[in-house]
This record gives sequence, structure tokens and C-alpha cells, in this order.
Amino acid sequence: MLNGIPLYWYLIVAAAMFCIGLYGALARTNAIAVLMGVELMLNAVNINLLAFWRYLTPESPAGLAFAAFVFIVAAAEAAVGLALIISVYRNMNSIDPEKLDLMKL
Amino acid sequence: MTVAQIVFILLTIVGLGAAFLVVTTRNLFHAALYLIASFFAVSGFYVLLEAGFFAAVQFLVYIGAISILFIFATMLTRTVRGMVPRNSQWQAALFIAVVLFVAMVVMFSPISFSLPTRSDRTFGGVDWQFAEVLGKPGVLRSVPDSSILDFGRALSDLNQYGIALLLSGVLLLIGMIGAIWVARERKPREILAERARMAAEEASEAARQSVGTKIPDVVVAHDSHH
Repeated sequence: MLNGIPLYWYLIVAAAMFCIGLYGALARTNAIAVLMGVELMLNAVNINLLAFWRYLTPESPAGLAFAAFVFIVAAAEAAVGLALIISVYRNMNSIDPEKLDLMKL
Repeated sequence: MTVAQIVFILLTIVGLGAAFLVVTTRNLFHAALYLIASFFAVSGFYVLLEAGFFAAVQFLVYIGAISILFIFATMLTRTVRGMVPRNSQWQAALFIAVVLFVAMVVMFSPISFSLPTRSDRTFGGVDWQFAEVLGKPGVLRSVPDSSILDFGRALSDLNQYGIALLLSGVLLLIGMIGAIWVARERKPREILAERARMAAEEASEAARQSVGTKIPDVVVAHDSHH
């Protein structure tokens, strides 16, 4: 399956996806779009984990276990984050992160 | 070029193109659909990496569950159309992302390994940069057939990842309860009572500050059902 694909191809693709997600998380004006950027970053991290597992330690289940826990935490994060966004929308009729400044002094 | 390389490049085009559209499109619903396309490409990468279990999990968890959550949240907040695509600090964000990407590419690519400061080509005892690309396929070990079996045993073994697995179950339960509690629908009466109480507190605070004497707290009429 891996004929001719060096490890750093995966690392560069994951780096690109991470940076696109970072830009989305920093530059969007909608909290749901920010959360989409965070999901892209988590996906990039998972590609890296599984690529390192495949190329360096394919005999050990440690890399798979790491990736599984990233999946679990990402699922919990998405559920809680979207619930927070819906609650904020109900209270303030807006989900622009720049307008959510109630906790600012 | 091998078949695997062609598949890899196609997956890269789909995945990164969709990811780029996720962060640039004006329509939030379209962004959710592009996000699904990007998840598909990532799942293809898992197949290429011979992690079939995680390709299946990517389908079920990300494409099946998380993207549906995103679509529901998009519909429930009615901000689909006319979204401003970027905020006032987008240039700084773009600068940070590009600098980080360039730094990571320089770090990962074989070019940096010919620099005088980076003479170590091995990492973890494996010549990982040049495994496969310079025609040394012997470096790359194959995945054992019992890989998923070992993974399951490691997850259920309390001496390895058993505790972490139990704790992640607790995390998911707490996350679910918390999500339900945070996003619960509150009765209009409750919200009105809370707003009245907040307004009364603000008024009494303002009066205290302007007069300088303590006045009795305002009793709120709606407070009886608490």
C-alpha cells in the first residue's frame, strides 16, 4: 500500500491541513466555522499519529491507541462546543466570537 | 509513479481543497458539506496507511455523527447566508498560518537534512526521512496480521490503556450530560424572571452608587417558583 510514498509526504499534507484549520479558527466570524477549523486541526494531528505509527512502530498498538483517544476527545469536544454555541445563540442572537465579550472587564 | 502515489496526490487535492473551501466560503452550510469531503479524504489516507479500523471509525464518527451535528447546529442558528467570510484580524491569522506551515515544511522535508546543522538522519533508530523514497524498502516493516487484536487487548488491559479507556468513557458521559444541560430549552417564564432579577440588581447597584447609602434589595415578584 505504501509503495513509493515517503513519510514526509504525510507530514507535509498534515501540516498544510493543520495550518488551514488554524487560519479558519483564527479568522472566521462565526463560532461554528471556528469549530470546523478546530476539527480540521484534529484530523491533521490524527494523520500524523497514524503515519508515524505505520512508518516507525507498526508492531506496537501504542500509535493506534493514541489516535483512538484523539477521536474520543474530538467527539466530546464537538458535542459540548456545539451545545455551547446553541446556548449562546439563544441568549444573544449572535454567534460572532468578537461579540461575545460579556466576561471582559 | 506508483498507483499509491497517484492515489495519495488525488486524496491530497481533494482533502486540502475541501479544507481550504471550509475556511473561505461564505455559506456556512456549504462549509459543512466541504468539511465532509475533507473527512472523506482523511479516511482515504487512513486506508493508505493500512489503518482500516480507523478509516471505518472516521466514516462512522466524523462523517456519520460530527458532520450531522455541524449541519444541525448550522440550521438551528440561522446564520447560513451572508456571513462575513473573515474578521478584522485575518491578515495576522494568515501570516501566522503561513509562517507555521513554512517552518514545518522546512523541518520535515529532506532538504533540511542536507543543512550543516542537521546531520542526524535517524529518528527512533529508523532512517525515516528516506525510507521508501530512495529505494530502500527494506527499512519499512509491515503491519502484523494481529494488529487490531493487539490494539484491542492493549485497550482492555488495565496495565496498558484500560484505565484511560474507562476514563474516556466517563469523559464522553460527562460531555453528553453537559451538552444536554448547556443546550437545554429554558421556559420563557424562567428567562423573564432571570432578566427581571438581573435588572433589579443593576438598578439597586446604580442607586447604591449614586446615593452612597445602602438601600434594601428589590424583591422580584416572579421569583416565587424557584
